[in-house]
Amino acid sequence: MELLSPTGVIDSFKAALSDSLLYARLYECEVAVKKNAFRTIWLHVERDAFREAVEHVCELQEYPHLAIISCSDLGQAVELTYHFTIYYGRRFAELSLGLRVDLPKTDLKVPTITDLIPGALFAEREIQEMIGVEVTGIPDSRRLFLPDDFPEGVYPWRTDETGPPADMLRVLPGRQQKQC
Amino acid sequence: MLEETEKATYTIPVGPIHPALKEPVRLALTIDGEEIVDVDVFVGQVHRGIEWLGMNRNNPVQTIYLAERVCGICNICHPLAFVMAVEHAAGITPPPRAEYIRTIAAEMERIHSHLLWAGVAAHEIGFDTIFYLAWRVREEIMDLIEYLTGNRVTKGVVQIGGVRRDVTEEQFPRIRKSLDYYKGLFDQLRKVFLDDRTIRMRTKHVGVLSKEDALKLLAVGPTARASGVTKDIRQDQPYAAYADLDVQAMTPDMLTGTVVGDTYDRIIVRLLEVKQSIAIIEQCLESMPPGPILAQPKMPVLLKTLANAEGEGIGRVEAPRGEVVHYVRLEAGRETLANWRIRAPTYVNLMCVPTMLKGGQIADVPIAFASIDPCQSCANRMVVTDRALGTRSIMDYEEMHRISVQRTEEL
Amino acid sequence: MSLKAFKRALWVYHLNTGSCNGCDIEILAVLTPRYDVERFGIMLVGSPRHADVLLGTGPVVKQMVPRVKRIYEQVPDPKVVMLVGNCGIEGGVFYESYSLAGPFDQVIPVDVYVPGCPPRPEAIIDGVVKAWAKLEKAEQGAR
Repeated sequence: MELLSPTGVIDSFKAALSDSLLYARLYECEVAVKKNAFRTIWLHVERDAFREAVEHVCELQEYPHLAIISCSDLGQAVELTYHFTIYYGRRFAELSLGLRVDLPKTDLKVPTITDLIPGALFAEREIQEMIGVEVTGIPDSRRLFLPDDFPEGVYPWRTDETGPPADMLRVLPGRQQKQC
Repeated sequence: MLEETEKATYTIPVGPIHPALKEPVRLALTIDGEEIVDVDVFVGQVHRGIEWLGMNRNNPVQTIYLAERVCGICNICHPLAFVMAVEHAAGITPPPRAEYIRTIAAEMERIHSHLLWAGVAAHEIGFDTIFYLAWRVREEIMDLIEYLTGNRVTKGVVQIGGVRRDVTEEQFPRIRKSLDYYKGLFDQLRKVFLDDRTIRMRTKHVGVLSKEDALKLLAVGPTARASGVTKDIRQDQPYAAYADLDVQAMTPDMLTGTVVGDTYDRIIVRLLEVKQSIAIIEQCLESMPPGPILAQPKMPVLLKTLANAEGEGIGRVEAPRGEVVHYVRLEAGRETLANWRIRAPTYVNLMCVPTMLKGGQIADVPIAFASIDPCQSCANRMVVTDRALGTRSIMDYEEMHRISVQRTEEL
Repeated sequence: MSLKAFKRALWVYHLNTGSCNGCDIEILAVLTPRYDVERFGIMLVGSPRHADVLLGTGPVVKQMVPRVKRIYEQVPDPKVVMLVGNCGIEGGVFYESYSLAGPFDQVIPVDVYVPGCPPRPEAIIDGVVKAWAKLEKAEQGAR
């Protein structure tokens, strides 16, 4: 498998996804005395091209490493960022890829990638319960971290009306609740 | 037949009898006689909502304090990954001397964590003597950590833009003394753990994870390296001073020549890493660059820079257990973090547990499970379903541990 | 008061309700040869039914509340409940989270508090001595 340079990787995504690739950025900084480079690539794709983008990552690297799926509430939409890394196992070669996809709140669905990467299961279960995204095709959709008696429809990481209500926040005796 | 009998639940706590790693997680085992047929993992009993707290309550500097308490054993790597992510998001570069000090702290933590694990693993087999030996040996590094940072646990050394405490030339001889102590001890530790007949019999071919499964299930850390997957962030995407040093991923074939992926291999990998850590600290001491230790020593200026910063960053650190990832997003004008995501290595290694335990025996569960070195949300409670018997009973911890020890005595 | 004056060995059951492990490894360090409280007869047991002292760590995560109560009932009288670490005393750093059920004494009554994040092994030993003294007094009171 040939290793592409970071700009080569971005170009390959542009070639594979054409207009569905909304944004691509390479971040570089210097580390320590010898000033070697530390690189991260950030990509933003359209929701419909998401599966294709993940398949492209699998072409660049057999069994890509998925670190985590992070999510945030943007008001009208929910944004998911899948943090992959490719080219591991070789000195100085690994690249982090942040693949971002936005889901409108009216249609919070994203396809599963556990058929490509079985290890993504826990991460997908977690975003289901924490921010309320439905992962279609997931083999196991039970709750992961929250207790079973946690109310349905309350998602801790949302900042809108489905976030945890004030009476759920346990302010321990003797402390004031901080107003943010 | 199966539908008529009731589901049997043996509630068996899995974990060392001594408190340290007795954290709550449930494994539901389906067994057939003594053999394990299926495993299910239930986590969540340690979920404290840390990411939510960081996003809603603290500014980034206060969040370092919170990040330290994600895990009391991997105490440098969580704040370090968090700080790296914030630095990438805000565009702050720490001075080189700070990078070297961070590396020294991280490697000292690796030594202490592996020795802790070695003791716990020995205890799971029933070798309490080795447990006490390993922890006694560990006290030396704890003293060194206290000498350098002021506390044994929760060291509070890392700060955005650098480190808070310096390691001066006067402190070097003390550090070298401790390292020499460990170098002299290494061969003895090796003999105790690797050449012992009973440990071999209890750990060889137990909890095997093949290379393919390790890749598919995204295993990280010594669990992955013992199966032949050479993932090591210090080698692949170096951060801090590792970019200047030559760090290689340790795999069992360096010692034995072959890779099996069982519990014995994981012991080998961890012992080799202790040796490697000692060498790394020595290299850092020799080539420590002079200079400041903080990019921005004035706190109000730092807080203002962070409040106005905009961007996202990811920090990946090789903790003793594997890869720790923190993702941070900062928004201009907002004091708290806009987004914070933590991923501890055990989160991923837990997914490998069912594959490792299937086909094994109950007596092997404590040691196989302990071999992934579970940390946050580690296993403790286990629910066992015996398909054949169909009876419900509660076995307490002592019995579970007794089964494991009995196995050793039978050998 | 010298430790030789205590007439019985103290058996301790440790209960982790979601702690970060910092306190737990300091508790273990107390048992190892460096600080070595086992020479006084203090031992950790695997079942609450054999214990005299219930040692709790961690802020109480909501999922753990029924378990904590059940274990408290299983420990036979006379018993002493000891808390190690700031989390159990008043939540520590986690004081405003959505998944906690409050400090320990909202769930079960507590006798000895050892503050610190985490407390040093010496502080834990001090707490154990106080717990021991309380236990002996409770026993004498019962007779």
